[in-house]
Amino acid sequence: MPATAAPAGTPVGIGWRHPHYAELLQTRPALDFIEVHSENFFADGGAALSVLIQGRACYPISLHGVGLSLGSVMGVDAWHLDQLARLVERIDPVRVSDHACFARAPQAGQPVHASDLLPLPMTEAALAVMCANVQRVQDRLRRPIAVENLSAYVQWRNADMDEPTFLNTLARRTGCALLVDVNNLYVNALNAQLRGEPQDPLAACMAWLDAIAPEPVAELHLAGHVHAGEIVIDDHGSRVADAVWSLYRHAIQRLGHLPTLVEWDTDLPDLSVLLDEAERARQAAAETLANANTPAGAAA
Amino acid sequence: MSRASVTVLQAQQSALLAALFAHPAHTAERLASEHLLAPFTAQSEQTSRGLMAYRANGHALAERSLAAAYPVIGLMLGQHNFNALARDLWHRHPPAVGDLAHWGDVLPTFLAGSEAALDAPYLADVARVEWALHRAASTTDAVADHASFARLGAEDPARLTLTLAPGTALIGSAFPVASLVLSHRHAQPSLAQAAQRLRDGVAESALVWRQGLQPRVAQAGAVEASLLRALLQASPLAAALDTALATETPETPAFDFSLWLTQAVLSGLVTGVRETNSAP
Repeated sequence: MPATAAPAGTPVGIGWRHPHYAELLQTRPALDFIEVHSENFFADGGAALSVLIQGRACYPISLHGVGLSLGSVMGVDAWHLDQLARLVERIDPVRVSDHACFARAPQAGQPVHASDLLPLPMTEAALAVMCANVQRVQDRLRRPIAVENLSAYVQWRNADMDEPTFLNTLARRTGCALLVDVNNLYVNALNAQLRGEPQDPLAACMAWLDAIAPEPVAELHLAGHVHAGEIVIDDHGSRVADAVWSLYRHAIQRLGHLPTLVEWDTDLPDLSVLLDEAERARQAAAETLANANTPAGAAA
Repeated sequence: MSRASVTVLQAQQSALLAALFAHPAHTAERLASEHLLAPFTAQSEQTSRGLMAYRANGHALAERSLAAAYPVIGLMLGQHNFNALARDLWHRHPPAVGDLAHWGDVLPTFLAGSEAALDAPYLADVARVEWALHRAASTTDAVADHASFARLGAEDPARLTLTLAPGTALIGSAFPVASLVLSHRHAQPSLAQAAQRLRDGVAESALVWRQGLQPRVAQAGAVEASLLRALLQASPLAAALDTALATETPETPAFDFSLWLTQAVLSGLVTGVRETNSAP
């Protein structure tokens, strides 16, 4: 039985995590899609894969990867790509995505995978590596993937360009889509402020959103973050912050109706809280676009 | 793009990973790794805090991933000790692939060589059973071929073997390893009974397989263990049974193959009959 029909407007979804597997399948709330981390379903068989197949019978699924390591100089792991290709074939996802980051590098001559989203310098070399790896993945999957901007906790000294230019060029050269994580933008901007950079965080994020090419953007992400002293961490462990909602409205105004995901990965609350956040996103997008279509809104 | 710029990028990536995986207990190693990173990063209080955040995330992943694979070892060691073990393993044997369900396979060997093995030498074998259970959970779903059992009455058993469920494993041990795992997972036998078997020096073989979607573990007696060992090597059923029955002793109940086979089929352990030279 499919899920309750979602209202028209901006498609919204939630990250579907283990504690909510059963409840979502039982209650089938009105969502346009659900998102899972691809790597959690690389198994040959078993309970997790069985649950995902049940979920697929109810909802379109967005496969969001956290381990392709698209920015690694040593390339994409062939085993990882094989597993992803098999999963894509099984699930027929509505979108496949991963991050503009690296995780694999040689240590003592052997590949090591950090299981984290580590930042790339915004250099021509990193861009060339990303392009080659993204192209390889797309060739194998025979479909474009979406690449997400990330929150970074280490700043490289060297840069040839800013992040929007990096991502715009990546999309232009490879035909990949972009996934804009609005919370990641804000976390990076808050950390820049904590480092003493002068620009107002909200203004910096809006400038970023204004600089990203609209056409390739295929999805938006929303999540919570936490202030941990001298650093802000993108922990996906709370409700979306007010400032991030403001940025989301700005993104929708500029980019239009885009599938929007509410991510929540730590300190998971009741499913109803995630659904509430998803509904808030749907309403925020609807109000933003309605205002933009009024004469006063258009003038603004 | 020049080769030199790619070389710099590779150095950056290797240096960051070295800084993240340098063992926190080895101060010199950690400082040397951070020194490698220093030319590439903006040095600030926040860079140090950022590295700490990445390390903390790695440790949290290590603790969570290892606990998912080794719940009984976790109960035996206690959460504090188990988490310390997970963090230690993370640094000494970091993940090689991007699916953490594959990380932790070295724990049995790691435990065998650890100080913990002096006090609890059975830990490594318990970990071997748990890893087999962990892998069985995600292995290929079994496809039973019930019609094939008719071949047992119609064909030469010297050319036939039994197909075992994907993920089936047999772990022999000098310790009561099945009792130790079962007592912690299902309280059957009780912890007290398992502890008594440990004190009595009982050796056991643990059978791991998957029944439907559920990984299972059971103690295999000597005859059953011998039979399964042969079947796991695709030996002909007749020869496997002869070898197994040769291990019977007057002290143990006679092995009833028909009863065993019925139970093995019902529990999903045996999924069919095939020729010895065909793939399972």
